[in-house]
Amino acid sequence: MTSIRRRLLIWLVAGLAVTTLAAALAVYMRARMEAAELFDYQLQVMAAAFPRGGYGEAPSAGDEDMSAGDVVVVQIWNRNGSQLYWSRPGSPILQRVEFGFSTVATPRGEWRVFNTLIDGNIVQVSQPMRARNELAAGLALRTMLPLLILLPLLVGLIWITVSRGLKPLNAVAAALGRRSEDALEPLPVRRVPGEVKPLVAALNDLLARLGRALDAQKSFIADAAHELRTPLTAVSLQIQIAERARTADERTTAFAQLKAGADRAGRLVQQLLTLARSEPGAAERPFATVNLTEIAREAVAEHAPIAEAKGLELGLSADTVVSATGDSDALRTLLANLIDNAVHYTPSGGAVDVAVFVRDGQACWIVTDTGPGIPADERQRVFDRFYRRDVAGAAGSGLGLAIVQRVAQRHGATVELADGAAGRGLRVTVRFPAR
Amino acid sequence: MRLLLVEDDAMIGESVRLGLRRDGFTVDWVQDGRAAELALANAVYDLMLLDLGLPKKDGLEVLKTLRRGGNRIPVLVLTARDSVGDRITGLDGGADDYLVKPFDLDELSARIRALLRRRAGRVESLMQCGELTLNPVTREAALGGRRLALSAREFAVLEALLDRPGAVLSREQLEEKLYGWEEEVESNAIEVYIHGLRKKLGADFIKNIRGVGYMVSKQ
Repeated sequence: MTSIRRRLLIWLVAGLAVTTLAAALAVYMRARMEAAELFDYQLQVMAAAFPRGGYGEAPSAGDEDMSAGDVVVVQIWNRNGSQLYWSRPGSPILQRVEFGFSTVATPRGEWRVFNTLIDGNIVQVSQPMRARNELAAGLALRTMLPLLILLPLLVGLIWITVSRGLKPLNAVAAALGRRSEDALEPLPVRRVPGEVKPLVAALNDLLARLGRALDAQKSFIADAAHELRTPLTAVSLQIQIAERARTADERTTAFAQLKAGADRAGRLVQQLLTLARSEPGAAERPFATVNLTEIAREAVAEHAPIAEAKGLELGLSADTVVSATGDSDALRTLLANLIDNAVHYTPSGGAVDVAVFVRDGQACWIVTDTGPGIPADERQRVFDRFYRRDVAGAAGSGLGLAIVQRVAQRHGATVELADGAAGRGLRVTVRFPAR
Repeated sequence: MRLLLVEDDAMIGESVRLGLRRDGFTVDWVQDGRAAELALANAVYDLMLLDLGLPKKDGLEVLKTLRRGGNRIPVLVLTARDSVGDRITGLDGGADDYLVKPFDLDELSARIRALLRRRAGRVESLMQCGELTLNPVTREAALGGRRLALSAREFAVLEALLDRPGAVLSREQLEEKLYGWEEEVESNAIEVYIHGLRKKLGADFIKNIRGVGYMVSKQ
């Protein structure tokens, strides 16, 4: 799990520890440098201040501890190299004469040595380096100690600050967690810190879109249930009539009507399913190249018997193969709905013509009829689902053109309603996008 | 009894008409609000069955216009609008009863009879006049406990007369109660039915008011 709190804490504490260490190191280096200068000066002064002549025998110190930090050893040799004085016998003998300061490695660690010539005698003052290192380390430690003590305190402070900083996020999460699934009102944006605001705004946007989708679903279901009630009422009444039939003739008629009623209910359910499938977000089949001419030919052939029975002239005008990109099943439904409508509303003796062609690089389907047409002020509303026009014999589901519209939208196509030939009837043009 | 059925759906309208006819009602059927208003202008109907979702003029509008005009015809609303709010709107809009689709034909008939009974001021479902009893549900008549064999038309004539005892109904009024729009009215059919009824009920049961019509006396 990635936790902002943990990550912040790890980085801040690690950063703090590294900086503290670096600071301690810097203090130590600096202190050592200054200690070196100081001690060197001390050695020099000591050498200069040493009494001239009259050195007694150096006292024998035996096995004295030479590791103590404050040890300073003085040795004096005469010109011939015989030792005149040795302040601490047993200390390392650093006879290599090199005037001035030098650092010498001995079996007892590194020593700092100062050699000088005084009255013809060589005076050597030496001291272990450890002394100055210890001083520097002690100094560094004392400087850094308060910081080291403060470190846990800082960690606690960071913990609290980070927790407080994340509180608005927790509040948003809690507010969302408490909600029921249909509470889609936006989260309050006031008093939300700037960093969390984009998140809350995005959530609110999502909630709003969800709300709209849910409302559309609800109204669709309510509409669908309402629309289903009519055919089901008809079927229920037809069953009651069939039950009461007293003669075989009456029964035959009643059952024929019952079958028609059941067919109608079935058709409505089919249309509702088609519409639901053509809604955005439904599982969509992949687009492929579709032969619009072939679909039109099939659709016209399919409707030919009904048109024939109604005394309509139904025909297709197509010169070439016209193609588009799309879902062939959906497009078949679209055209079938348009031809259904045309055949249904056109009175006997009329004509329905289906045309396929390309204009300005755009594939087009046109269905023209000689029916009553649709007045201009109703041409927008007829696409609403369940909208039925106030005309005699209009017994459709009110879904046909809604389905046409949805399918067209999915394909980026436009549907246009206009007057038919010579201002009579209806002409529906489906124009596909240029490929 | 003659009813006006206002229903835009062809299948529902056809079935309701068939069913009610079988229960002895004379039914005229129109499919939109305007046609309903035209039909009502004739004032021959005993009751109206009204769908609310109608083309041309909404059912509720038809009802409100009707009541504003002072028409007191019983109205039974038949609708798919089933929420309590819709029912309240319908009843407050002037409906006498409210039946939600889908409904049962027998229940519809019973509610129609109840409304007709209430309009006539009766509480009993049986219609009675002296020795004569009519049962509008079974369409059976009895005289002094003895079952009378009546044709459907004869029953309808008696039912119309007994609905308002003491009121005189002209031959035309009786014809209107008995015959729907598409039905051919045989000339002097009413006289034939009255003649038949007098033979079964006795000569004085149905009185002829010369030049006006027929009447059954209040007992």
